Amino acid sequence: MYLIGNISIYLGIVISLYGIIANIVGIKKKSSKWLESARGAVLSLAFVASIASFLLLYLLGTSQFQYKYVASYTNESLPMAYKLTAFWAGNAGSLLLWAFLLALYGAMVVFSKEKKNPMMPYVSSILMVNILFFFTVMALNANPFEMTDKIPADGKGLNPMLQNPGMILHPVTLYMGYVGLAVPFAFGIAALILKRMDSEWIKLTRRWTLLAWLFLTLGNVIGGWWAYLELGWGGYWAWDPVENASFLPWLTVSAFLHSVMIQERKNMLKTWNVSLIILSYILTLFGTFLVRSGILTSVHAFGDSNLGTYFLVFMAFMMLFSLYVVMTRYGLIKKDSSPIEAYFSKESSFLLNNLILVAAAFAVFWGTMYPLISETFTGTKVNVGAPYFNKVMAPILLVLIVLMGICPLIAWQKAVFEKFMKNMLWPLAMGVATAIILFAFGVKGIYAIIGLSATSFMFGTHLQEFVRGINARRKATKENILKAAFKLTVKNQRRYGGYIVHIGIAIIAVGVISSHTYSTEVLKTVDVGNSIKTGDYSLKFNELTEHTKNGNGIVVADIDVTYKGKDIGKIKPEKIFYETWPEPSTEVSIKTNWSQDLYVVLSSWENKDKVTFMVKVNPFVSWIWIGGIIMVIGTAFALIGGRPTTFRYQINKGISKVGG
Amino acid sequence: MSKNKKIVMGLGLAAVAFVIMMFSTMPSAGSKEITIADLSKNGSKYEGDYIMTQGLLNKESVQWDADKLELRFELYEEDQGTLQVFHKGIKPDNFSEDVIVLVEGFIQKDGVFEAEKVQTKCPTKYEGEDMENYDAEMHKEMYKNDKPE
Repeated sequence: MYLIGNISIYLGIVISLYGIIANIVGIKKKSSKWLESARGAVLSLAFVASIASFLLLYLLGTSQFQYKYVASYTNESLPMAYKLTAFWAGNAGSLLLWAFLLALYGAMVVFSKEKKNPMMPYVSSILMVNILFFFTVMALNANPFEMTDKIPADGKGLNPMLQNPGMILHPVTLYMGYVGLAVPFAFGIAALILKRMDSEWIKLTRRWTLLAWLFLTLGNVIGGWWAYLELGWGGYWAWDPVENASFLPWLTVSAFLHSVMIQERKNMLKTWNVSLIILSYILTLFGTFLVRSGILTSVHAFGDSNLGTYFLVFMAFMMLFSLYVVMTRYGLIKKDSSPIEAYFSKESSFLLNNLILVAAAFAVFWGTMYPLISETFTGTKVNVGAPYFNKVMAPILLVLIVLMGICPLIAWQKAVFEKFMKNMLWPLAMGVATAIILFAFGVKGIYAIIGLSATSFMFGTHLQEFVRGINARRKATKENILKAAFKLTVKNQRRYGGYIVHIGIAIIAVGVISSHTYSTEVLKTVDVGNSIKTGDYSLKFNELTEHTKNGNGIVVADIDVTYKGKDIGKIKPEKIFYETWPEPSTEVSIKTNWSQDLYVVLSSWENKDKVTFMVKVNPFVSWIWIGGIIMVIGTAFALIGGRPTTFRYQINKGISKVGG
Repeated sequence: MSKNKKIVMGLGLAAVAFVIMMFSTMPSAGSKEITIADLSKNGSKYEGDYIMTQGLLNKESVQWDADKLELRFELYEEDQGTLQVFHKGIKPDNFSEDVIVLVEGFIQKDGVFEAEKVQTKCPTKYEGEDMENYDAEMHKEMYKNDKPE
């Protein structure tokens, strides 16, 4: 086992090196044999990475504590699901997962129907440079198959916070997003190297980019959900450096997904697009660097190791390389760019949306890195907390929401103002009505009301788009509503998929604005038989009991809950004392209805009869999870459908000389 | 001037406005990281500043009033100085001897630090410790002590 594991890692290095060389030779000699061989190398990489991954899963599943990684992250009593997901609990396993996913993506790319595309040798080389990096780091610094000197009787176990369904999904989805960005990056660079200044690379990678974005979205939403359930502070987003690290590429890819539409249609923004995808890819490396280096204080701090240095060097290398390629091709990119025809057009509104998304990314980046910047220049470490991010991001996100409401109404090329105003009428009325209703019900907080009204306006625009499309179709075809709706959306999957994503964002916005502004929190110590009242809820504390499960001590509070005087059952917050972990873990208890969560934390106790609870009422938090699901559905809808690449450049002619 | 240039200029102006907004928000939103040693010597210098500091917990000093939800304790940095802390709120988990405590808040005239946030730093974090450093007995002892009577 030890041999197989280590051999697969070293083979990974050798094969990727060989593959890169084979590609270079193939390109230079125009030899299809060499290129074919390089393709084989990518497939072999997927094979060895799979062997290493399944081997590690086997070792984890069967508790082979002679392996350091297994002993550090699992123990005998850990449930099987978490034994296996300990795969990505530490550095070495995460790197292996990364290499595995990259190799799989690589194999999918080089064996796609574009395999004869002359960009492919470059694309596969760039992907193999990445794979080479991960295997090298594993070999030099974080080997998942390292042995212990003395075999321990039992392992250390998994951090209790990681023993949550979130652990099964969050890291994998985020990695799939991170890794997925390497593909459009590789295509973008390949196109530049080959001086193909058309939009072919964008068309070829549209699905890859969307897929990566889908996983980034999913990863972030699941991360928020996990934090909400597990951390016990009632929040889902804390502007923690590591959270920011995964939010940054999400922002830049969001910008990219919009601006590529302009290049596809109008042949504009070429430099911008290629820069955005390079930036997004570099940000994935940067995020990993932040997480792995431990240079910033974070709840996610993965311990200090010099792994960060490897990422820093690799990131610098990739950045310089990309910069060199862009600079040497800059004149060519500029040459046949089309100008914007009118100020008031979809093009310019997309430009504005891009600027705002990138500005948001910059604001997050700046706030995240500020402690290091201030320490370098002033000697004092100034930490930037959530207030900075909230202050800066709130107006940015508000503008984005308004823009999302306006953009679908603006025509391409040159919009007519009167027509635009006419289109705005109903959505605007919806926004205003929302504000009036909120005021009428005595809702306070002017900024929240503005935000909610803007969201309602944005939702209105999208609703109107659906209604208009369906009506127009019905007029033409006499279909019933359902059939017309189905046909309309299926025939324009990209467009309506995008609209569904926007609706998901509107729903999330309601959750974020409401929970941020209208959350209430009560901290109280109560004796047995006494109650805590908050909002429409009343909680009566009955008893504190303890029992053991899987060798862990569990302390449970039993509470009866009434809502508006009606009995709605029990709520049972817990604290779990793990035998192999120094800190107890808080298990919050939540009761959800459509408009709010009752969120109860067992904080501490003096004795069995006197206990301190934190009780929060968080309005509309479940909307965030629902909105996330809708976003994913919308993205998937745009992903599986959408027009296939309608026109291909005469690339195959070129390759027939080379590849045959 | 071409339309493209004008648009780029307009967007450039928007970007400048944005940067100004960002910088003007910065100082009010940050917390300065100051050492316990510095705070115990020059506490008055930092009055009015939002400060973050960390130190080791002196377990003997912990006074917890569950009814009022008031927590008082002393943080120290070996041979460097001590800091009295007052916090209105929950006592964190794992509030035991020599645990590293991170506090954020303001220093008062009487030298007492009024913490808005109190967090204990988990020594093990996410990353597993080396097996050699793992002290199972200690963890079991902690486990026993932490259970309710």
